Amino acid sequence: MYTVKANETLDLLLTAFPGESKDETIDIDIVGEGARVNLSGLYICPSDEQVRYTVRLHHRVPGCVSYQLFKGIVAGTAKVRFDGRIVVAPDAQKTEAYQENHNLLLSETAVVDTLPQLEIYADDVKCSHGATVGRLNEDEQFYMRSRGIPEAEARILQMLSFLSPVIDKVADPQEKEALRARVESAVRGL
Amino acid sequence: MHLLEIRNLHAGIGEKEILKGIDLTIAPGEIHAVMGPNGAGKSTLSAVLAGKPQFEVTEGSVLFDGKDLLAMAPEERSWAGIFLSFQYPVEIPGVTITSFLKTAVNARRKAAGLEPLSAGDFLKLQKEKMAFVKMRPEFAKREVNVGFSGGEKKRNEIFQMAMLEPKLSILDETDSGLDVDALRIVADGVNALHTPENAAIVITHYRKLLDYVRPTHVHVLKAGKIVADGGPELADEIEAKGFDQF
Repeated sequence: MYTVKANETLDLLLTAFPGESKDETIDIDIVGEGARVNLSGLYICPSDEQVRYTVRLHHRVPGCVSYQLFKGIVAGTAKVRFDGRIVVAPDAQKTEAYQENHNLLLSETAVVDTLPQLEIYADDVKCSHGATVGRLNEDEQFYMRSRGIPEAEARILQMLSFLSPVIDKVADPQEKEALRARVESAVRGL
Repeated sequence: MHLLEIRNLHAGIGEKEILKGIDLTIAPGEIHAVMGPNGAGKSTLSAVLAGKPQFEVTEGSVLFDGKDLLAMAPEERSWAGIFLSFQYPVEIPGVTITSFLKTAVNARRKAAGLEPLSAGDFLKLQKEKMAFVKMRPEFAKREVNVGFSGGEKKRNEIFQMAMLEPKLSILDETDSGLDVDALRIVADGVNALHTPENAAIVITHYRKLLDYVRPTHVHVLKAGKIVADGGPELADEIEAKGFDQF
């Protein structure tokens, strides 16, 4: 359980790399005005991994902001479940809460369950959520191949492109580059 | 020898036939304009030549430099010297122009049995070609086409063309959505890259681009067939009388 007090910022990044199964529940209580939450997740599950994220984020007071961005690549017979709920209490006016979960599904046998939920009890808020499960974009792939990038390399670039918004959430430049390198080597190993 | 020889080309998507028997021969040094109304099959022709997987060739043949073009993957066509300037260039978030083109240039060198360019040599080449198409150097760090204006996207296409030095450039409606200034920059790039050894196909709906890039040959494509061939004067005739005369 994370409790975020007035004017505090909580930055949290969850990762699951190939071979790692995870079952994580993240409870976040925003209890002080002016608080910010950046919650991100990145998962690469190419074989039989099981990854489950359960997010319960409560906006209990006015004037706070939360961003959630979960993105992952799922293949083989891996199973991913994203169950994310944002609750905005009646007093939490001027809340901004955003939640996104996007998935690249690369096999017929992999499974993604995504359950974004918003419970809003205040009337003056900005909230949105979105979830997608898609495949590699064929137009992007053709564009890259038409420039002489081989199909396999084009797929790798597309996957890195897909995950890069999560990597960009890391503020520290050194940590960001370390994560980018780790993601690149994981993607190249797929 | 001909650079490109298209014989009785039929192609489409799924059950729908779009190209219904195209014949077209191009020699080095030539610039061919393909004009036609919307839905004539102009973009399909360019997509089929570049190898877009969604299109199916049902009949006919295409030889490029004497080789069977239709048997090649899109990347192999690029290595052989085909370049398609897209009507709608694709955005690739998270991939910078530098890393995109470095991957492309080195993949092509590898296919030709050459060592990859060093980082320094690549950057030098990139800088030179950017200056050539009057693209500001800071674009090298931008993500491919992300947040670019219409003109910037088209200029980026011409820049990539300059980097890849194709034998045959196919410009698919490169003029669409461009104002006169952007059109001139694109045309200047195309003209500057044109040599007696390479060739271009300029696909366009309007004659405007052809004021800047003078074609040696003009073809009219209508309902999947070439219905008229001529020299530059044919473009003027179309401007005056439209496509209905064919």
